[in-house]
Amino acid sequence: MLDVSRGNLDAMAHIFERYNKRLYNFFYQMIKDKDVCEDMTQTVFYKVMRYRSSYKGGQFVSWIFKIARNVFSDQYQKSKKTLNNENLELIAHKNGESKEERNDDVAHLHNALNTLNSQDRELIVLNRFQGIKYDKIAEIVGSSEGAVKVKVHRIMKKLKTVYLETI
Amino acid sequence: MDCKDIEQQIVDYLDGQLPVETSQKIKSHITTCDDCQVVYKETKSLFLAFSKVEEEQPSDNLRHEFYKLLEEEKQLQNDKVVELSKPEKDFPWKQAFQIAASILFMIGGYLLGSHNSKQMASHEISALQKQTIELREDMMLAMIENQSPSKRIQAVNFTESFVKPDTKILEALIQRMEYDGNMNVRLAAAEALSEFPESSIVKDAFIAALTTQKDPSLQIAIIQFLVKIQEKRAIAPMQQLLEHSDTPDFVKEQVNSGISQII
Repeated sequence: MLDVSRGNLDAMAHIFERYNKRLYNFFYQMIKDKDVCEDMTQTVFYKVMRYRSSYKGGQFVSWIFKIARNVFSDQYQKSKKTLNNENLELIAHKNGESKEERNDDVAHLHNALNTLNSQDRELIVLNRFQGIKYDKIAEIVGSSEGAVKVKVHRIMKKLKTVYLETI
Repeated sequence: MDCKDIEQQIVDYLDGQLPVETSQKIKSHITTCDDCQVVYKETKSLFLAFSKVEEEQPSDNLRHEFYKLLEEEKQLQNDKVVELSKPEKDFPWKQAFQIAASILFMIGGYLLGSHNSKQMASHEISALQKQTIELREDMMLAMIENQSPSKRIQAVNFTESFVKPDTKILEALIQRMEYDGNMNVRLAAAEALSEFPESSIVKDAFIAALTTQKDPSLQIAIIQFLVKIQEKRAIAPMQQLLEHSDTPDFVKEQVNSGISQII
Protein backbone atom coordinates (compact mmCIF):
# COMPACT_ATOMS: atom_id res chain seq x y z
CA MET A 1 0.00 0.00 0.00
CA LEU A 2 2.92 2.29 0.63
CA ASP A 3 3.62 1.84 -3.07
CA VAL A 4 0.16 3.13 -3.85
CA SER A 5 0.45 6.05 -1.49
CA ARG A 6 3.66 6.99 -3.34
CA GLY A 7 1.73 7.04 -6.57
CA ASN A 8 2.11 3.51 -7.93
CA LEU A 9 -1.46 2.81 -8.95
CA ASP A 10 -0.63 -0.62 -10.34
CA ALA A 11 -0.20 -1.81 -6.79
CA MET A 12 -3.82 -0.80 -6.32
CA ALA A 13 -4.85 -3.85 -8.37
CA HIS A 14 -3.16 -6.15 -5.84
CA ILE A 15 -5.01 -4.46 -3.05
CA PHE A 16 -8.28 -4.91 -4.89
CA GLU A 17 -7.64 -8.61 -5.46
CA ARG A 18 -6.72 -9.16 -1.86
CA TYR A 19 -9.51 -7.20 -0.21
CA ASN A 20 -12.53 -6.96 -2.50
CA LYS A 21 -14.09 -10.20 -1.30
CA ARG A 22 -13.39 -9.41 2.33
CA LEU A 23 -14.88 -5.97 2.16
CA TYR A 24 -17.84 -7.15 0.17
CA ASN A 25 -18.55 -9.82 2.77
CA PHE A 26 -18.11 -7.33 5.58
CA PHE A 27 -20.83 -5.19 4.05
CA TYR A 28 -22.92 -8.20 3.18
CA GLN A 29 -22.89 -9.38 6.76
CA MET A 30 -24.00 -5.93 7.82
CA ILE A 31 -26.66 -5.43 5.16
CA LYS A 32 -27.80 -8.27 3.03
CA ASP A 33 -28.20 -6.35 -0.19
CA LYS A 34 -25.84 -7.36 -2.92
CA ASP A 35 -26.11 -4.23 -5.02
CA VAL A 36 -25.66 -1.88 -2.09
CA CYS A 37 -22.73 -3.96 -0.88
CA GLU A 38 -21.06 -3.84 -4.25
CA ASP A 39 -21.54 -0.09 -4.39
CA MET A 40 -20.07 0.33 -0.97
CA THR A 41 -17.12 -1.93 -1.76
CA GLN A 42 -16.47 0.10 -4.87
CA THR A 43 -16.67 3.29 -2.85
CA VAL A 44 -14.06 1.95 -0.43
CA PHE A 45 -11.59 1.32 -3.26
CA TYR A 46 -12.34 4.69 -4.74
CA LYS A 47 -11.58 6.31 -1.40
CA VAL A 48 -8.42 4.26 -0.96
CA MET A 49 -7.24 5.63 -4.31
CA ARG A 50 -8.34 9.15 -3.57
CA TYR A 51 -6.86 9.38 -0.11
CA ARG A 52 -3.88 7.12 -0.76
CA SER A 53 -1.50 9.87 0.23
CA SER A 54 -3.04 9.98 3.72
CA TYR A 55 -1.89 6.40 4.39
CA LYS A 56 1.28 6.71 6.44
CA GLY A 57 2.18 3.09 7.04
CA GLY A 58 0.84 1.03 9.92
CA GLN A 59 -1.74 -1.74 9.74
CA PHE A 60 -3.28 -1.62 6.31
CA VAL A 61 -6.16 -3.87 7.34
CA SER A 62 -7.10 -1.37 10.01
CA TRP A 63 -6.84 1.50 7.59
CA ILE A 64 -8.99 -0.03 4.88
CA PHE A 65 -11.61 -1.24 7.35
CA LYS A 66 -11.73 2.20 8.91
CA ILE A 67 -12.63 3.52 5.47
CA ALA A 68 -15.14 0.70 5.00
CA ARG A 69 -16.71 1.56 8.30
CA ASN A 70 -17.08 5.20 7.30
CA VAL A 71 -18.57 4.21 3.97
CA PHE A 72 -21.02 1.97 5.75
CA SER A 73 -22.10 4.61 8.24
CA ASP A 74 -22.48 7.14 5.40
CA GLN A 75 -24.66 4.69 3.55
CA TYR A 76 -26.56 3.89 6.71
CA GLN A 77 -27.24 7.57 7.37
CA LYS A 78 -28.29 8.10 3.78
CA SER A 79 -30.72 5.21 3.77
CA LYS A 80 -32.08 6.37 7.10
CA LYS A 81 -32.75 9.83 5.72
CA THR A 82 -34.48 8.60 2.60
CA LEU A 83 -36.60 6.29 4.77
CA ASN A 84 -35.69 3.49 2.48
CA ASN A 85 -33.88 1.82 5.28
CA GLU A 86 -36.77 -0.32 6.42
CA ASN A 87 -37.65 -1.32 2.92
CA LEU A 88 -34.06 -2.05 2.16
CA GLU A 89 -33.58 -4.14 5.24
CA LEU A 90 -36.82 -5.93 4.65
CA ILE A 91 -35.82 -6.90 1.16
CA ALA A 92 -32.36 -7.70 2.34
CA HIS A 93 -33.55 -9.98 5.03
CA LYS A 94 -35.90 -11.71 2.70
CA ASN A 95 -33.10 -12.30 0.23
CA GLY A 96 -30.83 -13.52 2.94
CA GLU A 97 -33.35 -15.79 4.52
CA SER A 98 -34.56 -17.34 1.34
CA LYS A 99 -31.04 -18.30 0.49
CA GLU A 100 -30.06 -19.51 3.88
CA GLU A 101 -33.13 -21.58 4.58
CA ARG A 102 -31.15 -24.49 3.33
CA ASN A 103 -29.02 -24.27 6.41
CA ASP A 104 -30.89 -24.01 9.68
CA ASP A 105 -27.90 -23.22 11.81
CA VAL A 106 -26.92 -20.33 9.63
CA ALA A 107 -30.48 -19.03 9.51
CA HIS A 108 -30.66 -19.12 13.28
CA LEU A 109 -27.35 -17.36 13.54
CA HIS A 110 -28.57 -14.59 11.29
CA ASN A 111 -31.72 -14.22 13.24
CA ALA A 112 -29.64 -13.91 16.35
CA LEU A 113 -27.39 -11.37 14.65
CA ASN A 114 -30.42 -9.34 13.63
CA THR A 115 -31.24 -8.82 17.27
CA LEU A 116 -27.99 -6.94 17.77
CA ASN A 117 -27.65 -3.23 17.24
CA SER A 118 -25.39 -2.23 14.38
CA GLN A 119 -22.44 -1.37 16.61
CA ASP A 120 -22.43 -4.75 18.30
CA ARG A 121 -23.08 -6.46 15.05
CA GLU A 122 -20.13 -4.67 13.50
CA LEU A 123 -17.79 -5.90 16.22
CA ILE A 124 -18.98 -9.47 15.77
CA VAL A 125 -18.67 -9.26 12.00
CA LEU A 126 -15.15 -7.88 12.23
CA ASN A 127 -14.06 -10.39 14.85
CA ARG A 128 -15.91 -13.56 13.91
CA PHE A 129 -16.38 -13.30 10.18
CA GLN A 130 -13.37 -11.25 9.23
CA GLY A 131 -11.18 -12.87 11.86
CA ILE A 132 -9.65 -9.54 12.86
CA LYS A 133 -7.88 -9.54 16.20
CA TYR A 134 -8.92 -7.30 19.08
CA ASP A 135 -6.00 -4.91 18.78
CA LYS A 136 -6.75 -4.18 15.14
CA ILE A 137 -10.47 -3.84 15.78
CA ALA A 138 -9.59 -1.36 18.51
CA GLU A 139 -7.65 0.59 15.90
CA ILE A 140 -10.56 0.45 13.44
CA VAL A 141 -13.28 1.55 15.82
CA GLY A 142 -11.05 3.86 17.81
CA SER A 143 -11.14 2.04 21.11
CA SER A 144 -8.74 0.11 23.33
CA GLU A 145 -7.92 -3.55 22.91
CA GLY A 146 -9.20 -4.40 26.37
CA ALA A 147 -12.52 -2.66 25.80
CA VAL A 148 -13.03 -4.42 22.48
CA LYS A 149 -12.21 -7.77 24.03
CA VAL A 150 -14.69 -7.33 26.88
CA LYS A 151 -17.37 -6.11 24.46
CA VAL A 152 -16.90 -9.02 22.07
CA HIS A 153 -17.13 -11.48 24.93
CA ARG A 154 -20.28 -9.86 26.23
CA ILE A 155 -21.92 -9.81 22.80
CA MET A 156 -20.93 -13.37 22.12
CA LYS A 157 -22.61 -14.44 25.34
CA LYS A 158 -25.76 -12.58 24.43
CA LEU A 159 -25.66 -13.94 20.90
CA LYS A 160 -25.23 -17.46 22.19
CA THR A 161 -28.27 -17.10 24.39
CA VAL A 162 -30.44 -15.80 21.57
CA TYR A 163 -29.08 -18.39 19.18
CA LEU A 164 -29.80 -21.28 21.52
CA GLU A 165 -33.27 -19.95 22.26
CA THR A 166 -34.25 -20.06 18.64
CA ILE A 167 -32.97 -23.54 18.04
CA MET B 1 -9.65 -20.86 37.73
CA ASP B 2 -13.36 -20.67 38.46
CA CYS B 3 -16.44 -20.94 36.27
CA LYS B 4 -16.73 -17.17 35.78
CA ASP B 5 -13.21 -17.02 34.34
CA ILE B 6 -14.07 -19.82 31.99
CA GLU B 7 -17.16 -18.08 30.73
CA GLN B 8 -15.15 -14.93 30.04
CA GLN B 9 -12.36 -16.71 28.29
CA ILE B 10 -14.22 -19.35 26.41
CA VAL B 11 -14.25 -17.42 23.16
CA ASP B 12 -10.52 -16.91 23.18
CA TYR B 13 -10.06 -20.47 24.26
CA LEU B 14 -11.96 -21.74 21.26
CA ASP B 15 -10.09 -19.35 19.06
CA GLY B 16 -6.83 -20.72 20.42
CA GLN B 17 -5.80 -17.23 21.41
CA LEU B 18 -4.80 -18.06 24.96
CA PRO B 19 -1.36 -18.95 26.28
CA VAL B 20 -0.75 -22.70 26.46
CA GLU B 21 -0.76 -22.69 30.25
CA THR B 22 -4.15 -20.94 30.55
CA SER B 23 -5.53 -23.04 27.75
CA GLN B 24 -4.59 -26.26 29.53
CA LYS B 25 -6.10 -25.05 32.79
CA ILE B 26 -9.41 -24.34 31.05
CA LYS B 27 -9.32 -27.67 29.29
CA SER B 28 -8.86 -29.56 32.53
CA HIS B 29 -11.55 -27.47 34.19
CA ILE B 30 -14.07 -28.10 31.45
CA THR B 31 -13.62 -31.87 31.73
CA THR B 32 -14.39 -31.73 35.45
CA CYS B 33 -17.07 -28.99 35.62
CA ASP B 34 -20.46 -29.87 34.08
CA ASP B 35 -21.67 -26.27 33.91
CA CYS B 36 -18.65 -25.19 32.03
CA GLN B 37 -18.94 -28.21 29.83
CA VAL B 38 -22.36 -26.86 28.78
CA VAL B 39 -21.01 -23.39 28.17
CA TYR B 40 -18.20 -24.86 26.11
CA LYS B 41 -20.55 -26.95 23.99
CA GLU B 42 -23.01 -24.12 23.44
CA THR B 43 -20.30 -21.73 22.41
CA LYS B 44 -18.82 -24.32 20.15
CA SER B 45 -22.14 -24.81 18.41
CA LEU B 46 -22.37 -21.07 17.89
CA PHE B 47 -18.89 -21.11 16.42
CA LEU B 48 -19.94 -23.93 14.17
CA ALA B 49 -22.83 -21.85 12.90
CA PHE B 50 -20.43 -19.03 12.20
CA SER B 51 -18.14 -21.36 10.31
CA LYS B 52 -21.05 -22.56 8.23
CA VAL B 53 -21.71 -19.10 6.90
CA GLU B 54 -20.39 -19.14 3.42
CA GLU B 55 -18.46 -16.31 1.98
CA GLU B 56 -20.41 -14.39 -0.57
CA GLN B 57 -18.89 -13.90 -3.95
CA PRO B 58 -19.18 -10.37 -5.34
CA SER B 59 -20.29 -10.22 -8.96
CA ASP B 60 -17.88 -9.65 -11.81
CA ASN B 61 -19.39 -6.23 -12.12
CA LEU B 62 -17.45 -5.12 -9.05
CA ARG B 63 -14.13 -6.11 -10.58
CA HIS B 64 -15.08 -4.62 -13.91
CA GLU B 65 -16.08 -1.32 -12.34
CA PHE B 66 -12.96 -1.22 -10.21
CA TYR B 67 -10.57 -1.58 -13.13
CA LYS B 68 -12.46 1.07 -15.02
CA LEU B 69 -12.04 3.34 -12.02
CA LEU B 70 -8.35 2.48 -11.78
CA GLU B 71 -7.78 3.40 -15.41
CA GLU B 72 -9.54 6.71 -14.90
CA GLU B 73 -7.43 7.40 -11.85
CA LYS B 74 -4.26 6.54 -13.75
CA GLN B 75 -5.26 8.92 -16.49
CA LEU B 76 -5.90 11.56 -13.90
CA GLN B 77 -2.52 10.90 -12.32
CA ASN B 78 -0.79 11.22 -15.69
CA ASP B 79 -2.56 14.48 -16.30
CA LYS B 80 -1.50 15.58 -12.89
CA VAL B 81 2.10 14.70 -13.63
CA VAL B 82 1.97 16.87 -16.69
CA GLU B 83 0.04 19.75 -15.26
CA LEU B 84 0.78 19.87 -11.59
CA SER B 85 3.91 18.04 -10.56
CA LYS B 86 6.17 20.11 -12.76
CA PRO B 87 5.44 23.49 -11.27
CA GLU B 88 5.24 21.90 -7.84
CA LYS B 89 8.48 19.99 -7.80
CA ASP B 90 10.75 21.64 -10.32
CA PHE B 91 12.16 25.05 -10.07
CA PRO B 92 9.46 27.39 -11.46
CA TRP B 93 11.37 28.19 -14.63
CA LYS B 94 8.47 29.78 -16.39
CA GLN B 95 7.75 32.14 -13.55
CA ALA B 96 11.43 32.89 -13.05
CA PHE B 97 11.76 33.62 -16.73
CA GLN B 98 8.78 35.93 -16.63
CA ILE B 99 10.21 37.83 -13.69
CA ALA B 100 13.66 37.97 -15.28
CA ALA B 101 12.15 39.18 -18.52
CA SER B 102 10.16 41.90 -16.81
CA ILE B 103 13.25 43.04 -14.88
CA LEU B 104 15.29 43.05 -18.07
CA PHE B 105 12.54 44.96 -19.78
CA MET B 106 12.49 47.56 -17.05
CA ILE B 107 16.27 47.94 -17.04
CA GLY B 108 16.27 48.04 -20.81
CA GLY B 109 13.59 50.71 -20.81
CA TYR B 110 15.47 52.72 -18.22
CA LEU B 111 18.78 52.46 -20.09
CA LEU B 112 17.18 53.29 -23.40
CA GLY B 113 15.46 56.28 -21.89
CA SER B 114 18.51 57.53 -20.05
CA HIS B 115 20.73 56.87 -23.07
CA ASN B 116 18.40 58.81 -25.31
CA SER B 117 18.09 61.69 -22.91
CA LYS B 118 21.83 61.63 -22.24
CA GLN B 119 22.56 61.67 -25.93
CA MET B 120 20.09 64.45 -26.42
CA ALA B 121 21.49 66.31 -23.45
CA SER B 122 25.07 65.89 -24.61
CA HIS B 123 24.00 66.97 -28.07
CA GLU B 124 22.35 69.99 -26.60
CA ILE B 125 25.26 70.76 -24.34
CA SER B 126 27.82 70.48 -27.11
CA ALA B 127 25.61 72.57 -29.34
CA LEU B 128 25.26 75.15 -26.59
CA GLN B 129 28.98 75.08 -25.91
CA LYS B 130 29.68 75.56 -29.58
CA GLN B 131 27.20 78.36 -29.63
CA THR B 132 28.81 80.11 -26.65
CA ILE B 133 32.24 79.77 -28.21
CA GLU B 134 30.97 81.15 -31.47
CA LEU B 135 29.22 83.89 -29.59
CA ARG B 136 32.38 84.71 -27.69
CA GLU B 137 34.44 84.66 -30.83
CA ASP B 138 31.98 86.94 -32.54
CA MET B 139 31.87 89.16 -29.49
CA MET B 140 35.65 89.19 -29.30
CA LEU B 141 35.98 90.03 -32.96
CA ALA B 142 33.40 92.77 -32.58
CA MET B 143 34.92 94.16 -29.42
CA ILE B 144 38.43 94.08 -30.81
CA GLU B 145 37.39 96.81 -33.25
CA ASN B 146 36.04 98.92 -30.38
CA GLN B 147 37.29 102.51 -30.01
CA SER B 148 38.01 102.14 -26.31
CA PRO B 149 41.44 100.59 -25.71
CA SER B 150 40.26 98.99 -22.47
CA LYS B 151 37.44 97.20 -24.40
CA ARG B 152 39.99 96.02 -26.91
CA ILE B 153 42.21 94.69 -24.09
CA GLN B 154 39.17 92.93 -22.68
CA ALA B 155 38.52 91.40 -26.10
CA VAL B 156 42.12 90.27 -26.36
CA ASN B 157 41.88 88.69 -22.90
CA PHE B 158 38.81 86.73 -24.05
CA THR B 159 41.12 84.59 -26.14
CA GLU B 160 42.51 83.04 -22.97
CA SER B 161 39.35 80.97 -22.70
CA PHE B 162 39.80 79.65 -26.24
CA VAL B 163 41.62 76.35 -26.10
CA LYS B 164 42.07 76.16 -29.81
CA PRO B 165 41.10 79.42 -31.50
CA ASP B 166 40.62 79.45 -35.27
CA THR B 167 42.83 81.46 -37.65
CA LYS B 168 40.29 84.26 -37.76
CA ILE B 169 40.85 84.94 -34.05
CA LEU B 170 44.60 84.58 -34.36
CA GLU B 171 44.69 86.95 -37.32
CA ALA B 172 42.63 89.47 -35.42
CA LEU B 173 45.02 89.24 -32.49
CA ILE B 174 48.06 89.53 -34.76
CA GLN B 175 46.51 92.58 -36.34
CA ARG B 176 46.01 94.09 -32.87
CA MET B 177 49.62 93.34 -31.95
CA GLU B 178 50.97 94.92 -35.11
CA TYR B 179 48.72 97.86 -35.80
CA ASP B 180 46.78 98.84 -32.70
CA GLY B 181 47.27 102.46 -31.83
CA ASN B 182 47.41 101.73 -28.12
CA MET B 183 50.64 100.20 -26.89
CA ASN B 184 48.86 98.40 -24.04
CA VAL B 185 46.54 96.67 -26.48
CA ARG B 186 49.50 95.60 -28.59
CA LEU B 187 51.24 94.24 -25.48
CA ALA B 188 48.10 92.38 -24.37
CA ALA B 189 47.70 90.92 -27.87
CA ALA B 190 51.34 89.81 -27.83
CA GLU B 191 50.82 88.14 -24.43
CA ALA B 192 47.65 86.46 -25.66
CA LEU B 193 49.39 85.22 -28.81
CA SER B 194 52.30 83.85 -26.81
CA GLU B 195 49.79 81.27 -25.43
CA PHE B 196 49.70 79.62 -28.85
CA PRO B 197 53.33 78.83 -29.70
CA GLU B 198 52.42 75.88 -31.95
CA SER B 199 50.68 78.06 -34.52
CA SER B 200 52.96 78.88 -37.49
CA ILE B 201 51.17 82.12 -38.35
CA VAL B 202 51.73 83.29 -34.79
CA LYS B 203 55.46 82.55 -35.12
CA ASP B 204 55.67 84.34 -38.47
CA ALA B 205 53.81 87.30 -37.03
CA PHE B 206 56.20 87.55 -34.11
CA ILE B 207 59.24 87.42 -36.41
CA ALA B 208 57.72 90.13 -38.60
CA ALA B 209 56.75 92.19 -35.56
CA LEU B 210 60.33 92.10 -34.34
CA THR B 211 61.37 94.38 -37.19
CA THR B 212 58.30 96.58 -37.30
CA GLN B 213 57.66 97.21 -33.61
CA LYS B 214 59.45 100.14 -32.09
CA ASP B 215 58.11 100.01 -28.54
CA PRO B 216 60.76 98.57 -26.23
CA SER B 217 58.40 96.70 -23.88
CA LEU B 218 56.72 95.03 -26.82
CA GLN B 219 60.10 94.25 -28.34
CA ILE B 220 61.16 92.57 -25.10
CA ALA B 221 57.92 90.55 -24.95
CA ILE B 222 58.45 89.44 -28.56
CA ILE B 223 62.06 88.49 -27.93
CA GLN B 224 61.10 86.51 -24.81
CA PHE B 225 58.47 84.61 -26.76
CA LEU B 226 60.81 83.83 -29.67
CA VAL B 227 63.57 82.74 -27.29
CA LYS B 228 61.11 80.52 -25.44
CA ILE B 229 60.04 78.74 -28.61
CA GLN B 230 63.70 78.57 -29.79
CA GLU B 231 62.81 80.16 -33.14
CA LYS B 232 65.98 80.14 -35.25
CA ARG B 233 64.52 82.39 -37.91
CA ALA B 234 64.31 85.15 -35.31
CA ILE B 235 68.10 85.46 -35.09
CA ALA B 236 68.47 87.57 -38.27
CA PRO B 237 65.88 90.24 -37.34
CA MET B 238 67.26 90.25 -33.81
CA GLN B 239 70.76 91.00 -35.10
CA GLN B 240 69.24 93.81 -37.18
CA LEU B 241 67.82 95.21 -33.95
CA LEU B 242 71.29 95.23 -32.46
CA GLU B 243 72.63 97.21 -35.41
CA HIS B 244 69.72 99.66 -35.26
CA SER B 245 70.66 102.90 -33.52
CA ASP B 246 67.12 103.51 -32.21
CA THR B 247 67.09 100.37 -30.18
CA PRO B 248 67.48 101.11 -26.48
CA ASP B 249 70.37 99.50 -24.66
CA PHE B 250 68.29 97.31 -22.39
CA VAL B 251 66.53 95.88 -25.45
CA LYS B 252 69.91 95.14 -27.02
CA GLU B 253 70.95 93.32 -23.84
CA GLN B 254 67.78 91.28 -24.01
CA VAL B 255 68.53 90.52 -27.69
CA ASN B 256 72.06 89.46 -26.87
CA SER B 257 71.08 87.07 -24.09
CA GLY B 258 68.24 85.85 -26.34
CA ILE B 259 70.52 85.02 -29.23
CA SER B 260 72.92 83.18 -26.95
CA GLN B 261 70.00 81.15 -25.56
CA ILE B 262 68.64 80.27 -29.02
CA ILE B 263 72.05 79.12 -30.20
